[in-house]
Amino acid sequence: MKLRNLLLGLGLGCAIIFPACKDIIEVEPEYQKAGSPGGFFSLDDHEFALTGAYALFRAPGYYGIGMYNAGTWAALPDMMADDLVQTKEDFGNWAAQTNWTYATDEANIEIAWVAAYAVIAQANLTLRNIEQYSATNAKRVNRIKGQALAIRGMAHFDLLRFWGESYDRNSTANGVPYKTTVNVEDLPTRLTVKETYDNIFRDLTAADTLLGDVDRTINAPTNRAYIDQIAARALLARLNLYVEDFEAAESYASQVIAALDLADRDAFAAIWKDNYPADKEVIWKVTFSPGEGQAGTGIHIGSANLNLFRPARHLEDMFNKANDIRYAAYFGGREAGASAAVYPGNTAPGSSSRRIVTKYLGRGEALDNLVDWKVLRTGEMYLIRAEARARQGGAKLNTALTDLQTLRAARIKGFAPTVSIGQQALLDAIALERRKELFAEGHRWFDLKRTIRTVSRADVENAAASETLVPAAREWTWPIPQGEIDVNRNIAQTEGYK
Amino acid sequence: MKKVLLLKLALLLCLLQQAVAQDRTVTGTVTEQATAKALPGVSVSVKGAATGTSTDQEGRFSLGVPANSATENLTLIFSLMGMVAQEVVVGDSTVLAIALAADAKQLSEIVVTGYQTQNRREVTGSVATVAGQEVALNPFGSFEQALQGRATGMLVQANSGQPGATASVLIRGRGSVFGGTQPLFILDGVEISATDFSTLNHADFASYTILKDAISTSQYGSRGANGVVVITTKKGVEGPTLLDYHVQYGFSTMPENRHRVMNSQEKLAYELANGNPYGWDADDIARLSAINTSWEKELFRTGLTKNHTLTASGGNNKTTYLLSGSIFDQEGTVRNTGLDRYTGRANIESRAGDFTFGLNSTFGYSELANTYEATTSTNVPLNAIRWSNPYEPPYDQNGNYNQPVASWQPNALELIYENTSLRQQLKGVGNVYVAYNVPFLPGLSFRTSWGGDYFSNETSELLDPTTAPGRGVPGGKGQYSRGYNRFFGYTGTTSASYDRRFGSDHTLQVSMFNEIVKGGGKNFGFTGYGLGGPFENEAGITPGTATNGFIPAVNGGGNEQALLSYFTMVHYGYKNRYFVSATGRRDGSSRFGLNHQWANFGSAGVSWVVSEEAFMEALTGVFNELKFKASYGTSGNQAGLGDFQSRELYGRAVYNGVSGLQQVQLENEQLKWERRTTFNTGLELATLQGRLRATIEYYHALTSDLFLNRQLSRTTGYTNLVSNVGTLQNSGVEFSLDGDLIKTQDFTWSANLNLTHNRNRINKLVGEGDNDIISGVYMNREGEALNSFYVVRYAGVNPDNGNAQYLNLNGDLTEVYNPADRVLVGSAEVPFFGGFGTSLQYKGFALSTFFTFVQGNKIYNEDRTNIENPSFVWDNLAAAMLDEWREPGQVTAIPRASQVLRTGTTRFIEEGDFLRWRNLMVSYTLPGNVLKAARLRHVSVFAQGQNLATFTKFLGFDPEVSTPALTGARSRVPGQLSGAQYPALRTITFGISVGL
Repeated sequence: MKLRNLLLGLGLGCAIIFPACKDIIEVEPEYQKAGSPGGFFSLDDHEFALTGAYALFRAPGYYGIGMYNAGTWAALPDMMADDLVQTKEDFGNWAAQTNWTYATDEANIEIAWVAAYAVIAQANLTLRNIEQYSATNAKRVNRIKGQALAIRGMAHFDLLRFWGESYDRNSTANGVPYKTTVNVEDLPTRLTVKETYDNIFRDLTAADTLLGDVDRTINAPTNRAYIDQIAARALLARLNLYVEDFEAAESYASQVIAALDLADRDAFAAIWKDNYPADKEVIWKVTFSPGEGQAGTGIHIGSANLNLFRPARHLEDMFNKANDIRYAAYFGGREAGASAAVYPGNTAPGSSSRRIVTKYLGRGEALDNLVDWKVLRTGEMYLIRAEARARQGGAKLNTALTDLQTLRAARIKGFAPTVSIGQQALLDAIALERRKELFAEGHRWFDLKRTIRTVSRADVENAAASETLVPAAREWTWPIPQGEIDVNRNIAQTEGYK
Repeated sequence: MKKVLLLKLALLLCLLQQAVAQDRTVTGTVTEQATAKALPGVSVSVKGAATGTSTDQEGRFSLGVPANSATENLTLIFSLMGMVAQEVVVGDSTVLAIALAADAKQLSEIVVTGYQTQNRREVTGSVATVAGQEVALNPFGSFEQALQGRATGMLVQANSGQPGATASVLIRGRGSVFGGTQPLFILDGVEISATDFSTLNHADFASYTILKDAISTSQYGSRGANGVVVITTKKGVEGPTLLDYHVQYGFSTMPENRHRVMNSQEKLAYELANGNPYGWDADDIARLSAINTSWEKELFRTGLTKNHTLTASGGNNKTTYLLSGSIFDQEGTVRNTGLDRYTGRANIESRAGDFTFGLNSTFGYSELANTYEATTSTNVPLNAIRWSNPYEPPYDQNGNYNQPVASWQPNALELIYENTSLRQQLKGVGNVYVAYNVPFLPGLSFRTSWGGDYFSNETSELLDPTTAPGRGVPGGKGQYSRGYNRFFGYTGTTSASYDRRFGSDHTLQVSMFNEIVKGGGKNFGFTGYGLGGPFENEAGITPGTATNGFIPAVNGGGNEQALLSYFTMVHYGYKNRYFVSATGRRDGSSRFGLNHQWANFGSAGVSWVVSEEAFMEALTGVFNELKFKASYGTSGNQAGLGDFQSRELYGRAVYNGVSGLQQVQLENEQLKWERRTTFNTGLELATLQGRLRATIEYYHALTSDLFLNRQLSRTTGYTNLVSNVGTLQNSGVEFSLDGDLIKTQDFTWSANLNLTHNRNRINKLVGEGDNDIISGVYMNREGEALNSFYVVRYAGVNPDNGNAQYLNLNGDLTEVYNPADRVLVGSAEVPFFGGFGTSLQYKGFALSTFFTFVQGNKIYNEDRTNIENPSFVWDNLAAAMLDEWREPGQVTAIPRASQVLRTGTTRFIEEGDFLRWRNLMVSYTLPGNVLKAARLRHVSVFAQGQNLATFTKFLGFDPEVSTPALTGARSRVPGQLSGAQYPALRTITFGISVGL
């Protein structure tokens, strides 16, 4: 018995001292997927990653609204200009931007910078080593790669729009770093504006080509949520307008217009409630579903009836209020008070002077601001083509005028065309139409910067609001965020902020 | 793994059958030396083994010991709080008569260090103890709040007054930046989740042992870098069943804010002076001036506290038990908030021969209704009371919630009453253990203990469609969310120890351990929309259609982590005067890169009871006891990291209703253990016949391979990457003094004091040259303390033009705000803190009081950047804004209203110093003869107050500011009052304790 006890005891001793196998700490993630340095293991993963890149456009700092930052490329460019007026109801969370008081440590500027590069990083992950599938699955690779390149090119273009010291095609002033690889240790320099453009052109034209030869249709007729070949060309049209390659801009715009014409007048208003006509008007939109944030709450918070920014009076007065369908689609009246109703156009009873932007209130009757962000529209394509043609001059002045008239006829009931017009007057008319058509869609600030104008706010509500920004002001170009300067010794600060 | 466990249990059961009949019994009585009265509740344990019992009401005990153990080595330890513990070699005798003397010395105290029990003279490390009874009756929803200021080296910051809220606990300074800094909490051998203690009843706790240096935390080496709090629960005592009942009722009173907001007249005057933004006319002014709502008074209330605890304990010489149940119901001072808790406990220990079996378990249920805090968001009641205009009434004439028209602040009362946030928690902590003394090799014993920490939380949150947040949700018609998460973690510790005395001078204890700590949880939830129908619960959710906008959102996830450790501990003693301890261990964690999962840690310590040396003989009258100790060693930290922090991770991304992947974490395969190396030395002494006891310790702790957010170029799409970079040191001195100033038969007056001075300094950050890490107003810089504030110096207002003035780097006045002029102005880390108290006892009357303080830290008062911001003229502002600059020549500290407020300046940095009257307790215990007549064992009545007064200059409700909620054990960023402060409760209770 003693011996048995001893053996048992010894056995027990050993058993309890080392009971654990080392695999106890070999735990694998279940709710996330571990990556590997070489990239993904299947083409499906590349496709999943592309979806992730699109989702990042919704991030606060890109199109989405954060707690303290407006959608940088959504309505902020309008808030920074002259057609949206900061009201007394605004919290001032992005007043540093809208009043041009930013310094290098402005948090919202860093958030925007990171948000755009996060989209780019996700696009680069999508692209990493995707060529290994080209031999076996060429058309699917084209579809994924084309979109990822377009996303990368567009995000860099958006960065250049704020941080480029110039928009000239051949400028040697500071542009932005162009990221094409996945490398967390990279400390990139700023390319010149020209070099930045070169890269953007390379990516967008490659995307255009790739997206012409794909395995399946990318977009549904009433839900154009992805960048297909038409959207890539629309981006190229916009890009060529910025660099003043008017022939190319005209050509790309024409291709887009041929594929997706303007919405019918009856269907136009419903677009802002996310009720889309098939293959018309909306070229690419970033979709928002419940729980995914919003893009439009920076202007008017429908649920709380907080009217942070209101339409400028002079802008509203430019519209033919009775006949322009945009007037009722874009503007409305709403009394203060959480449950006050929204009246489109100027149908509000009584003499309410509280004016709101109604573009982003919600789907149907909802006031939850949950609507898609329309990035590219055929209306913009007509304006690009009109401007490109008018700038080319000569015989093209007539086609430019026709473009302008076509757009107006599509928006204004009983529109009576003007017969002829001089070049400068035509360009002014196009600029005015652009201001009206694309109001609060993220263009105004860039259009002023592009055409080198002064911001002068005729309609100001807050005493603290800045009123004038001359073309020479440093604020036309954003500073490189302090966080980037602190860590990246290779990067140059924007002129004026050093 | 599970199979291995079963096998072991089977083996043990086999052995049990062999062993049952082998014991002999030692019996005896224990009395108090001075009075010869029987001493109940004296712990009797076999030295070096887990076997033990306690004396009964008559001081009797009976303990089974191994029959064939070498009797010359069989030593029993008799200990009782307040008595000098005695070690008695049993020899051949089977009946013992022991007399314990009242404790005049501290070195004889028994210290529970987790796996082992040691006599204090043997302890080579730094250990502080708090007796459970000192704080058992303090009415806190979360026990660690009660430990504030009780022990040297341990900083407890209340963090929130919300009932059940967890405090921020730091032992010997913040040793990590990104990693966790919360100590490890061990309850009866089981690691318990450090983020939530609200479903535990601390009246069940017998003692808290705070392990601070490397040698004492070495047994928890892989998790002990931030210190360890070891909690042992009360055990049953042999004898007839004892019943104890405590009840207390009380109330928590409304807090006061030292930074007052304007009343109606002031606010209207301010508006008129600043452009009359709402365009009030004279009639409006007259009408509105008449309304003067104090939103604070509307939202706060006097909250009631009720607490009942019933304990039954007893047992025989084989089995002892303790059962307890409690009800704790604490209303918060904010309406509709509070904690309702029910707990039960069963602690059972049974001996059968060479085996000891035990079960310690607690189970609880709590309901917590809470409100948002530590946020600058609107739609938060605690912000709304600061920002709502005082001329808005809470209710309109019809008794409905008034919807403010003149500002867009929500009605705080509507938010708190209509929107509910409720959490129901089930929690269970328990362990079972089996110990076996090997009969044929005296001194050898095995023990295996398996314990689990389980909790599940069910949350429900209603946003009523009539409230602003309820309108701001998809579909605009309210929202109802449910969430469920559960966590189960287990700790399995298996050990073999050999404890032997060689000759008369040598003692040796060698133990080998294996430990597994593994835990994981899962969660899911949904958010439904479209309420406003007949129901305000799950039934009220309207199913989503393509057009109504009510498509519900669902979520789910989980986590898992594991630790595996092997370690050995050796204690050697010579002449009961010189002691050496050493620990070596190897730990593996699932959180690190494959090549860095394993790390070795070790530590060693010595102690020397100087007063027992011959050369001290002449001085024994002065130094009754004098002990010197020193230790050095390393421990690891892996807390605060994500479960897969070293891996590149892709999470779910959804776009356009399609699921995909998004990179959410960059890879860092080099990520490894954070390492803390601590040197500790100290003196413990007792003088004046043991009436004055003092401890002084010095420590120096160096954290290397610090987890830090290494900054990346933002063009990566990330701002930083968690890496092991840098070193950080905490060094300090701790001093405690405990004295019986007067001690007579009827009257005692004692006082205690503990002080800790900690110096925190960053030695090395990543990269060369300018490698400062700046995050908002915080900066971490080499040579400076962690979390130093880095802002521009505010220099008042230029009386000529009302412009804010700043100091530039040269110290010259400038009106230009330039971030390049930022300087360091102090740290959020607390350098000096402590507590002191005194107690008086005269016959049955007792009075004790306790104060705590911190000194030297800074707080960034972000709340003030809202209520001192003139661009928020639409909402209420601080009354201080009435001093705003209005005319040339005016000398004031508040700039003109038309200037943009710059928030990153010293204007909003304040001193965090405070002195708090933490506790006052008055009690009366009925004398013995009365009790005897009433056939009661014990009756006392008491009244106590918590946080009765706080002395501070801080402009807010409370200098212990709320910081954003803990996630995991991750370090909070301290020292910022962002807004929505829920101040610590000021509670007064009255109670009675009865023992049968």
